[in-house]
Amino acid sequence: MNRPRIEVANLAVRYGDVTAVDDIGFDIASGELVTLLGPSGCGKTTTLRAVAGLETPSGGNIRLNGETVYSASERRNVPAEKRGVSMVFQSYAIWPHMTVFDNVAYGLRVRKLPAAEVRENVQRVLGLVQMQAFADRPASKLSGGQQQRVAVARAIAFSPSVLLFDEPLSNLDAKLRAEMRVELRELQRRLDITSLYVTHDQEEALAISDRVIVMNGGKIEQIGTPEDIYNRPRTRFVADFVGSANLIAGKVRGPGSNGTLLFEAEGGVQLEVVASDASTERDTVALRTSYIHLGSMPGSHNAVPGRIHRRMFHGDFIQYVVDWPAGQLIVRRPPTELFDEGSEVTVSFAPIHCVLL
Amino acid sequence: MPLVVLVCGALVIYPIAFLINESLNVGDPSTFPPEQYGFDNFTNLTDDYRALANTLLVSCIATVLAVIFGFLQAWILTRTNIPGRQRLERLMELPYYMTPLIGALAWGVLLGPKTGLVNQAWRSLGAPGDLFNIYSAYGIAWVMALFEGTVAFVMISAAMKSMDPSLEESSRVLGAGKLRTALRITLPLVAPGVLSATIFVFAEMLGSFAAAFVLGIPGRFYVVTTEIWQATLSFPPDYGRAAAMGLSLFGVMLITLTIARFVLKHGTYTTITGKAFRPREMDVGAMRWPLLALAWGYIVVAVILPLGALLLTSFERFATVILPQMHFTLANYQTALQMGSVGPAFVNSLILGVSVSTIGVVVIGVLAWIIYRSRMPGRGAAEYVIMFPQAVPRLVFGLGLLWAWINMPIPIYGTLWLLGLAYFTVFLPLGLRTIASVVLQVDPSLEECARVCGAGWVYQMRTVTMPLLRPGLVAAWLLIFIASVRELGVSIFLMGPNSKVIAPAIVNSWLSSSSELSAAMALIQTATVFIAVAIMFSLARRVSGVTQ
Repeated sequence: MNRPRIEVANLAVRYGDVTAVDDIGFDIASGELVTLLGPSGCGKTTTLRAVAGLETPSGGNIRLNGETVYSASERRNVPAEKRGVSMVFQSYAIWPHMTVFDNVAYGLRVRKLPAAEVRENVQRVLGLVQMQAFADRPASKLSGGQQQRVAVARAIAFSPSVLLFDEPLSNLDAKLRAEMRVELRELQRRLDITSLYVTHDQEEALAISDRVIVMNGGKIEQIGTPEDIYNRPRTRFVADFVGSANLIAGKVRGPGSNGTLLFEAEGGVQLEVVASDASTERDTVALRTSYIHLGSMPGSHNAVPGRIHRRMFHGDFIQYVVDWPAGQLIVRRPPTELFDEGSEVTVSFAPIHCVLL
Repeated sequence: MPLVVLVCGALVIYPIAFLINESLNVGDPSTFPPEQYGFDNFTNLTDDYRALANTLLVSCIATVLAVIFGFLQAWILTRTNIPGRQRLERLMELPYYMTPLIGALAWGVLLGPKTGLVNQAWRSLGAPGDLFNIYSAYGIAWVMALFEGTVAFVMISAAMKSMDPSLEESSRVLGAGKLRTALRITLPLVAPGVLSATIFVFAEMLGSFAAAFVLGIPGRFYVVTTEIWQATLSFPPDYGRAAAMGLSLFGVMLITLTIARFVLKHGTYTTITGKAFRPREMDVGAMRWPLLALAWGYIVVAVILPLGALLLTSFERFATVILPQMHFTLANYQTALQMGSVGPAFVNSLILGVSVSTIGVVVIGVLAWIIYRSRMPGRGAAEYVIMFPQAVPRLVFGLGLLWAWINMPIPIYGTLWLLGLAYFTVFLPLGLRTIASVVLQVDPSLEECARVCGAGWVYQMRTVTMPLLRPGLVAAWLLIFIASVRELGVSIFLMGPNSKVIAPAIVNSWLSSSSELSAAMALIQTATVFIAVAIMFSLARRVSGVTQ
């Protein structure tokens, strides 16, 4: 009975010779917030627009609430206005020639709701985004943050079954973005609305999502919960793009102690790493910068001497560039752990944090 | 909707095809289709070098003058700290609304041999002969230079404004003096803009008609455009020769304009980022009063003096500046509005202006949407075809239209219908450019959002697209209206005894009757245009006040 709200299968979008989206598929369950994450040009926005009906795919199937809205084989393509989805645009797309009220009421008036009901609904959603006081303002007189709230109110006013977000926070300044992130997630949970969210900001994707779909070059690299994506990246691209990681080159040398594998990095450094399968083909270990300890940690498996090469104070953390036998490591430590440049340290990290790629 | 594109494309291509066909007609020039084809019309063009030499002479003088005017004006208004620059910059638009026709009439009134107001004053001071004879190559060049000076100003000041002041500042910081910076940095950066303005003005000069017509015909001084006109008037009319001349002129203009665009595109170092810099102003010290006088001098000579002369003349029984001989009267205006076919010419022009711009805005609005928003195949080609009339000298296009519609089984030659159709065709580029600039400004997601909210195409057009395009549509309406009321090159070929329009009527009155009456007519036309311009700017201010 719990059929996914959004089902995308074998979706492909091509413009002439260029393939923007290359045979991808995913499902989104009711009430879930799933993020499409990737660098610009990876096909994430194209995928979102194909779901909205604003982009015509070249192949595959899209179902919304169990109903096929696009199917290449059935030659079916339901126009955007008949799909019952709603969308928050990157540019907000607030109509400058209308008031805030008219903007939010648009979807309700299109559906020919009686005036009283329109008014009631608009008041309600403006309340949800704390914009009641602005109802009669011309929409062109709003700040960026206010426009963004109105855009969200407009998108949820007509109770759509599915909500699509196209980089909704990318035009806000950093502080406001962090605040709106919390608010959006709060709102989405409260209304229990199925959402597909596009962003290139990995931090935002990890913070806001139930699941993250990492895309690159029109293909899906990995689908998983934020913890999954961060702790167990499956490809070099995911490890590099999401969070900050050191990629250590080397070779698998055989089994280690307690079910780990022995990995020999450049410079002869022996590391114990974990791997889901015993494949010995792999030649890179991904290691998160914040999972590395400096100082001495007795009893740990991977402890290697190093020297602080450079220290950069970032406020919330300190970033060290550490020389060690296998080259250089980037290490992030809390601002309480202060080492001077040039001082000798022991670099250590748990095998479980060494992900073999 | 593709039908609209096809019809508009046909309207543009049809006259040109006829023109080419006729230029190859070496049989009886007035039969259609031609009995014999050949290149004689083109080879015969070399028989008479005079018109060509005259055209080059006038174009060169006018181009040099116009670029000097434009450069000085652009430099003074963008780079110096003279007082009241912003107002002056706005006033610089005025010469453009004056048209070469009005300028030619006014300078004819001022400096015509014997009767010109200045020449009269000159004689009354006891000097022998005329101070200056405007009915000459120099006169035509002078009038055109005053008009084209504004065009050069716009292009050169754009080049000066798009230059990042930090380019000069870094030269100063690295130790170069003011002069060295000006010669090594500023000049090379502005040079491509000046060069492309020069070529552009020259190309426009080659195809210009009105001034050469008003000031050249009385003194039997012909340039290529007036020669084309003359060829169609001879008996029997030599349409083949006219068409060959027109096409050659078009070819030369097309090559020149292409060079101008190439220079602007590839020779410019200042990348167009869409960012407007406020260039660093130079403190010119005490020089600022002479420079201010120079800047105002251009406005006075290009606008105030000619309009003043026309105004004075239009209220006089006989044009004169000698006080005791002045007799003031309103009779000229009375005649202008009543007289035989002149009154109707005003009415016709207004009817054409209103209807062409109204229909034009609707059709061009749809065209702009198809070309810049839809994904219809071949929309790039459609844009090219629709912008095409822009490259054809108006007079040559008029000739093509004349020939095309004379030979059409639809009996609209000599009626307002044909004039309307012709205006619509030649103003397609103007309308498309104006509306396109607004269409391109409207973020597509504003329309997409309406669709996602559940609106169908019609609902979306009505509630979102049309309201957002309104400022552009209003501007396009007014620009087409203004252009229609001023139109000369096409009208002069296509108007019939029962479909007279104002610009050719003014020219005819000038050549056949009195300068006083012509002045009154010209002023009524100018006033109509200025009222439209005033409405346009007040609307523009109101609209931009709302959206900002």
